[in-house]
Amino acid sequence: MDSITPQVVFNLFGLPIKSTIISTWISMALIIGAVILMNVFKPGLAELIVSFLSNLISDIMNVDSPEPYLPLIGTLAIFITIANTAGIIPILVSPTSDINTTIALSLVVFFAIYYYGVRSKGLFGYLRELASPIFLLPLEIVGQISRTLSLSLRLFGNVLSGELIGSILLSLVPLFVPLPLMGLSMLIGILQAYVFTALASVYVASAIEISDEKIINKKGKNQ
Amino acid sequence: MNEWDPQVLITFFTILISGIGIVLGTIVPTIMQGRAVQKALDGIARQPEAKNDIRTTLLIAMALLESAAIYVLLVILVLLFANPLIDRFF
Repeated sequence: MDSITPQVVFNLFGLPIKSTIISTWISMALIIGAVILMNVFKPGLAELIVSFLSNLISDIMNVDSPEPYLPLIGTLAIFITIANTAGIIPILVSPTSDINTTIALSLVVFFAIYYYGVRSKGLFGYLRELASPIFLLPLEIVGQISRTLSLSLRLFGNVLSGELIGSILLSLVPLFVPLPLMGLSMLIGILQAYVFTALASVYVASAIEISDEKIINKKGKNQ
Repeated sequence: MNEWDPQVLITFFTILISGIGIVLGTIVPTIMQGRAVQKALDGIARQPEAKNDIRTTLLIAMALLESAAIYVLLVILVLLFANPLIDRFF
């Protein structure tokens, strides 16, 4: 029971502050400090990261300009990368090995999908497309909820399994043997950050895409 | 000695089910991931210019396939570390 639920460090106004929240704060501070340092000393590096992320998003989403989606999806990518690899630092645990963090992240994606869908098609247009064959609406709702759940459980399970394998091996053989598996869990963490970003972009793209009928209608009008 | 303590029984079957479940739950997704990689490599060999598209789609599909194994792992972790059934017999 102790090994899969994070420990309570102290209580703040009656709210239990767990170890994963503290490592979330530390990784937030790391990101902000790194961004400030990069802006002062090496502005080219920050530009490289931003252009890499915008290329990734526009590749996956098939849109011309990734400008409206870059702030949300880029922030998710950077935070999840840092959070997954924060377990390497000895005192910290990965913030994403707590299911509350990953559910919070995927709820942000869940609401962002509706925001972008309504923004690109208008409220009634988006609702009409969501319920286009009306008998498929319950299936659509189940799909929306289950993909949010699977998004959070996938990240949580991958990071938690990496941490558990590391701690089990550490208790068996303390020296040098856990190193390759820790490297593997770092690799899996970066890959999972990529997967979370890619899936979030795919979901947003599925909300903003123009349906085939409209494209055919437009072509018909043009000809 | 014929009477078993329910806690002992639950622990025994939890361990048994965990072993069987993790084996079956990793074999099936791994076979299917192997098929996906095989098809993707065939596609890359046939059309090397479509490499980037195939790689992106393959990574997303692999993550979706992998999540089946992760669900099995999560269920087994809950059974082993936070079993809700043991408290029922106290």
